[in-house]
Amino acid sequence: MSASSREIDAGGRGEPDRHARGDVDPRAWREETASLGMWVFLATELMFFGGLFLAYLYLRTHDPEGVAAASTHTHEWLGTINTAILLTSSFAMALAVHAAKDARRKAAQRLLVVTAAFGLAFLVVKGIEYGMEWRDGLVPGLRFTLAENTRTATLFFFLYFVATGIHAVHLAIGVATVLWIAWRLRAAALPGWRVDEIDVLGLYWHFVDAVWIFLYPLFYLVNLNA
Amino acid sequence: MKAGRPIRAYAITWAALLLLLALTFGLAHLKLGAFNPVASLVIAAVKAALVALFFMHLRRARALLVLFALVAPFALAILFALSGADYATREVHPAPWVAPRGE
Repeated sequence: MSASSREIDAGGRGEPDRHARGDVDPRAWREETASLGMWVFLATELMFFGGLFLAYLYLRTHDPEGVAAASTHTHEWLGTINTAILLTSSFAMALAVHAAKDARRKAAQRLLVVTAAFGLAFLVVKGIEYGMEWRDGLVPGLRFTLAENTRTATLFFFLYFVATGIHAVHLAIGVATVLWIAWRLRAAALPGWRVDEIDVLGLYWHFVDAVWIFLYPLFYLVNLNA
Repeated sequence: MKAGRPIRAYAITWAALLLLLALTFGLAHLKLGAFNPVASLVIAAVKAALVALFFMHLRRARALLVLFALVAPFALAILFALSGADYATREVHPAPWVAPRGE
């Protein structure tokens, strides 16, 4: 490494730009561009969910009492259990990515299956919850029989089903993809198998977890102190 | 990134997330007035930050990646600020025909 190349520092953090130096590690380069691409996708995803959060903010600030009354019909214990399940799934996913980077294929594969199992558990609990809400007549447009049938209650449950429904679809896609990659990992020692695939899948999984972290207090914790 | 340390960091992050979950669930049961929604949103933000920094590796990411990660929350903040300025300063006059049946 020559002294002049050391002066080029386009990457920040005081490291010389490896591309200017001409010795780019293709694997590291691929991993970096892969996660950059996933972060761009997650940015669009955040804007996508952002509209729903804005609609919620409008409803909450314009009729706080109505939202508080409607929110008493959600099942806060199921929501809390599901939050714990999802946080734990993210922990398993972080360990899976770590194992993959350490080239511990079996461990990565097992941890991916554990991650998917927690994701499935979340979806099962959510499904049970939806069933209870259907029986309670909380589904706007299809079966809405709430005694205090106000515009706010209707909008609250409309937002609830759209936001948690879209979140559940995201999680289902995550579970399917995690299982697919775990399945492909079974073939021993694929030459240079794609660590970046698992890394990027991890980013997606954690993002879906982070969306739920915000949905949880907005729909379950509004009015528990009444 | 060899054995030991990252795994411990992940475990501590996970424990902190579950602790914050218990905290936010507990606080929601207390009568704190305006502090209730503030507490639940601040705790949610802290949890999301922990996930982003540790599970999503933003803590050790290059500046470019951190910038990409911050663009969306920033754009979202603009959406909230400008729409919020409108909604907060405007009186709502619902036209009679927008009222749903039964009201």
